[in-house]
Amino acid sequence: MTQSLPPKSLVLYADDDPDDIQLLSEAFQVYSNDLELMTFTDGMELLTFIETIDPFYVAPCLFILDINMPRLNGKETLRRLRRLDSFADVPAVLFSTSSLPADAAFAKNFNAGFVTKPLHTSQVHLIIDEIIEHCSDDVKRNIRRKNRNNN
Amino acid sequence: MTKKALSLTEFIALQQELQFETLHKHAVYVGKRKEGKQQILLFQLHGFYVEVFYEKYRENIDYLVTTDSTEILQPYLEQINIGGLEQKKG
Repeated sequence: MTQSLPPKSLVLYADDDPDDIQLLSEAFQVYSNDLELMTFTDGMELLTFIETIDPFYVAPCLFILDINMPRLNGKETLRRLRRLDSFADVPAVLFSTSSLPADAAFAKNFNAGFVTKPLHTSQVHLIIDEIIEHCSDDVKRNIRRKNRNNN
Repeated sequence: MTKKALSLTEFIALQQELQFETLHKHAVYVGKRKEGKQQILLFQLHGFYVEVFYEKYRENIDYLVTTDSTEILQPYLEQINIGGLEQKKG
């Protein structure tokens, strides 16, 4: 009998800062058995990518959007994502270095989370957990089950 | 109840962990620059500025520089590309 591995859940992350992309890519390594992080340099690139995928075949489980990006910023990307039937309900997080209440309110209006980027090391894993918390219950259950099995 | 804005002197007097927490929760990001291998983030907090000098980006903080002088903005302003505006003007 052959058993195929369950597909990984896809997390799409747009950020124009290569240092932040590297930081999150390294932090997501802990979840690499369950989550695949795909990165984009701006919102336009992310939207172009999702136009090419079949949502019945590959369904992103989470969008992480930096707010300040050239070409298409995170807020406008979120607004456009919410207009697309196939992705309107996919969890999303606006990710920013500033914790401006107006940005948090914008995220809430568009049914998204708002997470401030870490300032130092003790915040990195807390923030990754905070981001993962926005994933669907199925994804979180899978991650927790595997973590329990590994411990 | 309105929360009183923290002054520069009060911020300097805070313990380091509290300074980091205050920056993370309340500061507004202004810009990022590099000096050799060191990465530096500038934040505005109420009426003053804080530069965070990293040993390792967003992980290990080397030290903070705090000031209420706008001179600290200069290296960040120099990064702003106004080439497009100048072309339109010309």
